[in-house]
Amino acid sequence: MPDSDPQTSTAPEALSPEQEATLLRMLRVAYPHDRFPDAPYVRTVKTIVDADTDGVVADGLAALNEAAGGDFGSLSESEATAVIERMSRTPFFKLVHATTVVALYDDHEVWDLLGYEGESFDKGGYLHRGFDDLDWLPKPRVEEFDGPPRVEIVQQAGTGTGSGS
Amino acid sequence: MTAGNGTPGTGIAGPAGGSAPGSNPIAPEEQAAVIIGSGAGGGTVAYELTKAGIPCVVLEAGPYLTQADYHNDEWAAFSQMAWLDMRTTSGTWRVATDFPNLPAWIVKAVGGSTTHWSGATPRFMDHEFRIKTVYGGLDGANLLDWPITLDELAPWYDKAEKAIGSSHRHGRPALPANNNYIVFANGAERVGYRYYATGPYGTNAEPYDGRPASIQDGFNFQGDKNGSKWSTLVREIPRALATGKLDLRPQCQAVKITHDAAGKVDAVEYLDKDGNLHRQAAKVVCVAGNTIESPRLLLMSASSLHPDGLANSSGQVGRNYMRHMTGSAYAVFDKPVRMHRGETMAGIIADEAKHDPSRGFAGGYYLETLSLGPAFLASFVEPGEWGRGFTDKMDAYERTAGLWLVGEDMPQESNRITLNRDVTDQWGLPVPDVHFDDHPNDVAMRQHAYAAADAIYGAVGALSVHRTPPYPSTHNLGSCRMSADPADGVVDKWGRAHDVPNLFVSDGSVMTSGAAANPTLTIVALAKRQADHIRTELAAGAL
Repeated sequence: MPDSDPQTSTAPEALSPEQEATLLRMLRVAYPHDRFPDAPYVRTVKTIVDADTDGVVADGLAALNEAAGGDFGSLSESEATAVIERMSRTPFFKLVHATTVVALYDDHEVWDLLGYEGESFDKGGYLHRGFDDLDWLPKPRVEEFDGPPRVEIVQQAGTGTGSGS
Repeated sequence: MTAGNGTPGTGIAGPAGGSAPGSNPIAPEEQAAVIIGSGAGGGTVAYELTKAGIPCVVLEAGPYLTQADYHNDEWAAFSQMAWLDMRTTSGTWRVATDFPNLPAWIVKAVGGSTTHWSGATPRFMDHEFRIKTVYGGLDGANLLDWPITLDELAPWYDKAEKAIGSSHRHGRPALPANNNYIVFANGAERVGYRYYATGPYGTNAEPYDGRPASIQDGFNFQGDKNGSKWSTLVREIPRALATGKLDLRPQCQAVKITHDAAGKVDAVEYLDKDGNLHRQAAKVVCVAGNTIESPRLLLMSASSLHPDGLANSSGQVGRNYMRHMTGSAYAVFDKPVRMHRGETMAGIIADEAKHDPSRGFAGGYYLETLSLGPAFLASFVEPGEWGRGFTDKMDAYERTAGLWLVGEDMPQESNRITLNRDVTDQWGLPVPDVHFDDHPNDVAMRQHAYAAADAIYGAVGALSVHRTPPYPSTHNLGSCRMSADPADGVVDKWGRAHDVPNLFVSDGSVMTSGAAANPTLTIVALAKRQADHIRTELAAGAL
């Protein structure tokens, strides 16, 4: 992205440690991957703060705590999910969602965790690195079917036989 | 009528803006063949005409990226290659909700969307050129037979397949089976399908035509750094430059086609990358800006002689926009698949590509292998979803197989590209609005296709199959349709505007109907045929 014009852009306000912790908890509830460490979520928190040019995050987190009866962080996963659900139409949640689906899943640590290998051209592609290493099904035919050609128009019953073209 | 519709006054900069390296510059006042766009249609026409000695100017809105520039990274490549200029959407299609300013996923760069295309190259079927006759009446659909037949196009299909190097054709070998195909083809076999293979597919299984064999890197949507995939970037554009007859001008966006008092087009006005307006004189103009930009340009070129847009006396410019019946299926297994390894779409099932009214809909569809990385899968697998339903899909990434559904959607007059005068682009010009509603036939076909995908993956032990909705359109067709009768469409059987004798449309916009197949091969075949016609007409002094 191009650098913002410092004269017109609104510098996103830094969050307090408590606010960051609430947002982190929100991400872990809304995008739960039990085997992920906190690090990629923490990076996503920072990306959300950077993307908050309309200044909706601080108020959104306050609303989240309010809806939770004071402390969102104290809720169970199912309780927290219900609170987020109630806020899912807000600009705050839309910003969180739009940013997270891009940032969290573009994170290379997450790629490793999910078994995605990223850049491959400089490694020679997968030609000699397992593009066909699936071993739980037989190797299928790769050539086209050598029997009769496909029937392209199937006549309605009673109006004649099928005819290829 | 009075004069033509050129922009009066002195605002037009003199020198042409920015010829690419290797170009042989053509003077702005020299009447060249001016081709707008450098993708499957424009790049092919440019090569065929320059090969015949005809000076051509290609105006390409995007930059001149080459293999070294491309990224093996989905979002980085998207930011680099995709057409991201402002667009709007309307209608009931889900893309208008999930991606309101991204109706289409196409490329803005030299080579156009051939740098992004998957590579699948089935031909259209005979009956798909005459759907009004074969399908009969379908409420709400604007069916029309093409003014050409498969027999007429067949020799051009041969030439196009040889240019592309389609596997399984003309002696080109098949691609090997990758992991995603192994799942797909075994499932196909077990449900009784027979017409499956790893192609025809426009990427080399072995070296061909100066290009290397695929290294199965899994990034052909991202430009293909290896150059194994056919595109006009790697074949037609460099060969056209080598003729010495091409002036390729990247980052030059056509904004108006002008005509003289007699009604023939005489120039194209365009903006360079800095927004300076230029004018290139033209003997003939070929519009190949893809199915959204081509009608937009014609509509922006309205004049007193063409008050509703250039070549729009039929009122059909922008109408009958088609995007194919699409959808995807992602199946989760209990063992690894690793679908991201290898050629993305080297797997095609054709058994359902037939017209069989007993299925409850007209027309047919293909199933084709497809893989996305986690970055794109997260945005597209179920837009808007969050929570464990979403993360369970992502957690299963390594055990997931994917396929794409692509079938014939019904042309409808109300599905159309219009100028949105309330929203402007970076140049202050009205953006295109893309309006789309599924036809009931499209919905019925999609449901059938999802069920077919369930059966295929179920037959090889899938734990679950998710039905992913259509992505932003990659196949954009029909907005300047071909017709025998000038009242029914925009161009004739050569792609020549009914209303303007030296104006051609050279991209997928000309398709009278969409057929089931991926369109690139047919766009190339039509462009080769059109270029041959233009060459003949120029030689005869008829343009």
